[in-house]
Amino acid sequence: MSLTRRDVLIAGSVGFAGVSLFSLQSARANDEALDLVEQLTGRTATVSDRLHLIMPTDFPTGYTVPMSLYIDSPMTEADHVRQMRVFAPRNPLIEVASFHFVPQRSLPRVSTRIRLARPQHVIAVVEMNDGNLLMTTTFVRVATDGCA
Amino acid sequence: MTTPTPRVIVPSAAAKGEIFQVKTIISHEMETGLRHDDQGNVIPRKIINKFVCRYNETVVFSVDLHEAISANPFFEFSLRATESGRLDFVWEEDGGAVFALSHQLTVD
Repeated sequence: MSLTRRDVLIAGSVGFAGVSLFSLQSARANDEALDLVEQLTGRTATVSDRLHLIMPTDFPTGYTVPMSLYIDSPMTEADHVRQMRVFAPRNPLIEVASFHFVPQRSLPRVSTRIRLARPQHVIAVVEMNDGNLLMTTTFVRVATDGCA
Repeated sequence: MTTPTPRVIVPSAAAKGEIFQVKTIISHEMETGLRHDDQGNVIPRKIINKFVCRYNETVVFSVDLHEAISANPFFEFSLRATESGRLDFVWEEDGGAVFALSHQLTVD
């Protein structure tokens, strides 16, 4: 098959549409998450790539979904993580857990297993020692309701 | 319901300043309070709501657990070896019951 100019243009525009739709969706998810965090904490968070929330994108059961969370932080007295909170906005009860760390003594990373009622964007919010809130989200698709 | 049994995996020795991993688990149903029994009555909430790790009496890591933590709550976290001593792990259940384990760590 020879590639015509038309094929290339069509492929390009489809690809571009796909990418922009995807980024639009994740941008909307971030906006919703930011609003929710503001409601819950009364403060504005910023989306940060220092924060890593690692979960499977697809998981067969909502009862025990693995979750790993870590933050790039030196954990010194001057620059450390005070606490990390996790929310599942589409669960009947949205709070999942809060983790507390101590500078020089614990690393800001933790793994656990959580329940998810339905596919959703899981939110992690980190409070730094200067009071800044950092946020990230990740989309997890579960096949069964882990909260029933 | 069976009695919750805590377990930990922690090294018994570490070099000073070294980061070591701690794995903890407790067998527990984590009843959310959202479920109903056969008669349609709500099964009351009973979860582990707090986990604390102390290193020679100093809190070094803690978790507030909510309903969305899976049954048999499991945590894996990392601590810095500062001195020899005792690590205490405490799980608090709704209603005030407490489950605990301790572990001796040698640091050189």
